[in-house]
Amino acid sequence: MPSKCVLVIDDEESIQKVVRLSLKLEASWQTITASSGQEGICQAEKHQPDAILLDVMMPAIDGIATFESLHENSQTQSIPVILLTAKTGTSEKRLFQKIGVAGVITKPFNPLTLASQVAKLLGWSI
Amino acid sequence: MSSEPKVLAESRVFEQPFWNTVMEFHPLTASGQTTLPKVLDRMTAHPGAACVLALHCREVVGIATRRDLLQAIAQNSEWFHLQLAQVMTRPVITVPQSDLPTDLPAIPLFLKQFARYQVSHLPVVDERNQLIGLLDETRLLRALPLWCATDGAAKAERSPHSEELRRQHQRAELFAEITLKIRQSLQLKEILQTSVNEVQRLLDADRVLIYQVLPDGTGKPISEAVVAPYQAILGFSFPEEVFPEEYQTLYAQGRVQAITDVHAPDSGLAQCLVEFIEQWGIQSKLIVPIVHPLKPEQSVGNAPLRNHLWGLLIAHQCRGPREWSEFELELMRQLADQISIALSQGQMLEYLEERVRLRTAELTQANRALHREIQDRQQVEAALRQSEEQLRLITNNLPVLIAYVDRQQRYRFNNQTYEHWFGQSPTEIYGQSINAVMGATYYRTIQTYIKTALSGNQVTYESELTLKDGRCHSVSVTYIPHVEATDTAVPQIRGFFALTTDISDRKAIERMKDEFIAVVSHELRTPLTSIHGSLKLMATGRLGHLSTEGQQMLEVADENTDRLVRLVNNVLDLQRIESGEVTMEAQVCDAADLIEQGVEAMRAIAQEHNIELQTQADAISIWADPDYIVQTLTNLIGNAIKFSHPGDVIQLAVRSNFEPILPSHLSDTVLHRHRAVPAMALFCVQDSGQGIPADKLNSVFERFQQVDSSDSRKKGGTGLGLAICRKIVEQHGGQIWAESQLGVGSCFYFTVPLYAAELV
Repeated sequence: MPSKCVLVIDDEESIQKVVRLSLKLEASWQTITASSGQEGICQAEKHQPDAILLDVMMPAIDGIATFESLHENSQTQSIPVILLTAKTGTSEKRLFQKIGVAGVITKPFNPLTLASQVAKLLGWSI
Repeated sequence: MSSEPKVLAESRVFEQPFWNTVMEFHPLTASGQTTLPKVLDRMTAHPGAACVLALHCREVVGIATRRDLLQAIAQNSEWFHLQLAQVMTRPVITVPQSDLPTDLPAIPLFLKQFARYQVSHLPVVDERNQLIGLLDETRLLRALPLWCATDGAAKAERSPHSEELRRQHQRAELFAEITLKIRQSLQLKEILQTSVNEVQRLLDADRVLIYQVLPDGTGKPISEAVVAPYQAILGFSFPEEVFPEEYQTLYAQGRVQAITDVHAPDSGLAQCLVEFIEQWGIQSKLIVPIVHPLKPEQSVGNAPLRNHLWGLLIAHQCRGPREWSEFELELMRQLADQISIALSQGQMLEYLEERVRLRTAELTQANRALHREIQDRQQVEAALRQSEEQLRLITNNLPVLIAYVDRQQRYRFNNQTYEHWFGQSPTEIYGQSINAVMGATYYRTIQTYIKTALSGNQVTYESELTLKDGRCHSVSVTYIPHVEATDTAVPQIRGFFALTTDISDRKAIERMKDEFIAVVSHELRTPLTSIHGSLKLMATGRLGHLSTEGQQMLEVADENTDRLVRLVNNVLDLQRIESGEVTMEAQVCDAADLIEQGVEAMRAIAQEHNIELQTQADAISIWADPDYIVQTLTNLIGNAIKFSHPGDVIQLAVRSNFEPILPSHLSDTVLHRHRAVPAMALFCVQDSGQGIPADKLNSVFERFQQVDSSDSRKKGGTGLGLAICRKIVEQHGGQIWAESQLGVGSCFYFTVPLYAAELV
């Protein structure tokens, strides 16, 4: 199975580290990281990752606005986005699904099954 | 007197001029239908009128004196409704004008008519019986001596029978004078004393006394005029023997006894009586009876009055025997008659005064009672006013709206706070409809609550009101029905009381709390995610191996991080539901499918604990938010797993159209709700775990309430799962409860509405 490249956009560096290590240990995927929505969009345009794990609550441009920008950008609109969020309310999950994200993984996530969750949502095999 | 010669020629002067001077030609008159108050008004306007004549076509049909009127008032408490005809005397004794005396000697005889008929006034009528004028006895008596002294006497001087005329004039003058003096007083004692004084003076007697006959036959002198040196008899009681009963009978019939010499053999006196009277030095005596009708109180009902012997008018001559002339006898008789009339009047006055006194006492007592009642009422009214004032003070100073609304939804009471909040005074609001005061838009939002209250059910709701300052305030409103018991079994709802409390501050605090919890919970998650993830990764051992103790500590950290994550998740969930941030989006769902989703979500954990999940679900549709029902089911399944033993089976079921299972700990209210809304689906999650004590069956649904406080540590529970379940179920309009038997297991039930099609 070819290695996947996943862009992690989260303003918390510790989260970035946990995600990167988790995906690496479980699925040997490559990760690139961004600490803000704006940086994430640039990284997505530049590296064209296979998927984006996007935090929702971020300063300046939040996850939803970032997703909308990615979705409207012809260079990034085809990249599947999975929201990685602490907003776990049922109604919020419904909202996220409505806007067209590929899936929602709630924080705190289980690092041992994170890659499996992502693969399941995107139809990948590990 | 009748033996005196009459001189008709000279007496003609007595005709018209005299009567013109003594007759009242315009007496006070009224119709018989005139009410007593009006009669009294007229008498007050004519203070000189001693009586009022009742006329019908100028004929006199009745007469009422002031005394008659006073008597009517004294005897009848409803006197103001009486008419003159009811109190006047009739038939009336009238005198035809043609019968008026035309000679002087006839005057005393004429005057006797007043005594004979017991009247003081005589109307004079013409040949057609129509009223000409009124004669007043007192006025006549006063006018007579004056006439005698002037005109009559002057004419008498010119008469050939001047000596006889002079004597007649003198007698008439004396009689009139004495009679007038007697009648001037209405005081009995004074009347009697005047009588004896005047008679003694007129007759030049040595002793004149009035002897009162008592009912037992004895008697005593009660008034006396005696000249020196003769002994007074006043106060001496006469034994019965000196005045036997046959004497009394004779005197009552009008006997007059004139004894010239008590010692003369023809005196007719018994020797013992002569000896008895000798002690008083009596030589000669003249005795005239005083007879008069019984006192008013002695008469029975309307029986005619009868005469009785009241006493004797006695003249003694002590200086020697005396021949009593016919004139003296007649004079004594007439004076006795006058005394009798005066007595009657005096006694009547006494009687009336007594009645007035009694009536006054009654009225005084009634007035006192009335006064006390008025005072009592005033005290009650004052207490009531004070109570009302206190109530008004309280209601007007409470920072809440208090109102009473009638069945027509019109305000019947508002406290002053309405003015502070809306700028409309209670007076302005009174009688207006809720719709008019609160506005149609707001009214539509509360209409259903008004109907609930008017159907007899108390209701509380929260709403928002815009006050006169333009700011929107959160309020809590309670409607309490005004139920009035009736004779019928069904009570009447008269209206409802409305209590509105401003809860803006509370709402603001709640919002702050919710926001705080949301922020804190979210901000907790971020570091938790990092810690949780790091620990999990370390625990794999792929980042390097730890010592055995290090590995144990890592597992402790990992487990408690999991617990902390669950706690934060549950706190956030509960806060969202309670704050209303979450709305249930009901849709048609397959109940069995939801059970399967719940089972699927928990299967891995169940397997981990070696517990089997079994389902038994009817194919029914419910009207619910599927995500939240699944969340409820997973919470209940998770609890069941925690408290089950390895190898146990957890059973899940759902069925429709259930009859309430009647859990023993549920209140009647809950049961009534079930009966009232039977179209529900019943979910059941049953385990065979340790069970729940009966006293904990309700409290397990409260926040942070667990059967054993160590459960949270041993089982990793947060104490919020069942509280979240309850909130979710209640938001669906359902109920949740538990039944359990210690050591046997527990069964958690909840209900949600069936889809309408299921009800057909």
